[in-house]
Amino acid sequence: MSALTLYQIVSLVLLCAGLYGLTQRRSLVGMLISVELMLNGAGLSMVAAAQLTDFSAVLGQLGTLFVMGLAAAEATLVLAMIVVVARRFKSAKTSDITTLKE
Amino acid sequence: MEVLAKVAFGVYTLVILGGAVLAVSSSSLVRALVGLITTLIGVAGMYLLLATPFMAFMQLLIYVGAVSVLIFFAVMLTHAEKGGDEAGKAPMKTYVYGLAATMTPAALLGWLVMKHPADSMAVPVEVPIKQLGEGLLGSYFLPFELISVILMVAMSGAVLLTWEKRGKK
Repeated sequence: MSALTLYQIVSLVLLCAGLYGLTQRRSLVGMLISVELMLNGAGLSMVAAAQLTDFSAVLGQLGTLFVMGLAAAEATLVLAMIVVVARRFKSAKTSDITTLKE
Repeated sequence: MEVLAKVAFGVYTLVILGGAVLAVSSSSLVRALVGLITTLIGVAGMYLLLATPFMAFMQLLIYVGAVSVLIFFAVMLTHAEKGGDEAGKAPMKTYVYGLAATMTPAALLGWLVMKHPADSMAVPVEVPIKQLGEGLLGSYFLPFELISVILMVAMSGAVLLTWEKRGKK
């Protein structure tokens, strides 16, 4: 098995762990943790593909850097949303916020 | 040297796997966060193995330093329940559907990766950090600026969302 395949399998495992967590978690913070897992898998896969093939290594690394920046922005916004939801519904569980209007 | 790299790869894979399992399955959100941080550090080690020390440093700085602290604040601000937020039993249906939703992309992508392996070099080449800087200020200038705009909008949006008027309580 080539080195690239090994790295891709590791990032696939990260993606699947994140997907499974996203379906299982019943609190918004837990879902955010799962999304971060998936984003990390994507970054690892991109860097591995850029470093281990003839593709431009600079583009791969900068792309992953942009993914990290987007992840930071996403985490900030999700934190604000969770705080708003927790303030309004007194809970951050997905089962408590399923109604549109009361 | 070859053997050492394989050993390091195995160790980092174990760290990533252990962290991911803890992050997904732990009933306490703080423990799940510790699992996430373990995974992030494992991925940083993978970046080091790929001869991209800059990415490993950025991973530690942005993810371990900033994002996990943000998530910790989210745990703190949502009044985490005693005994864990995920302590209750979920219906069996949830597990089955969740496993199906996970296994489908896993099987598909895994089959693709195994069936069509790309030609890969054995030893990655290190790109000097100067080239990365030239890329950021040269060909990829627009995305670089857009990222800063997005970060600015996200930060001010977060402040606006959680704004509370004085005396409203």
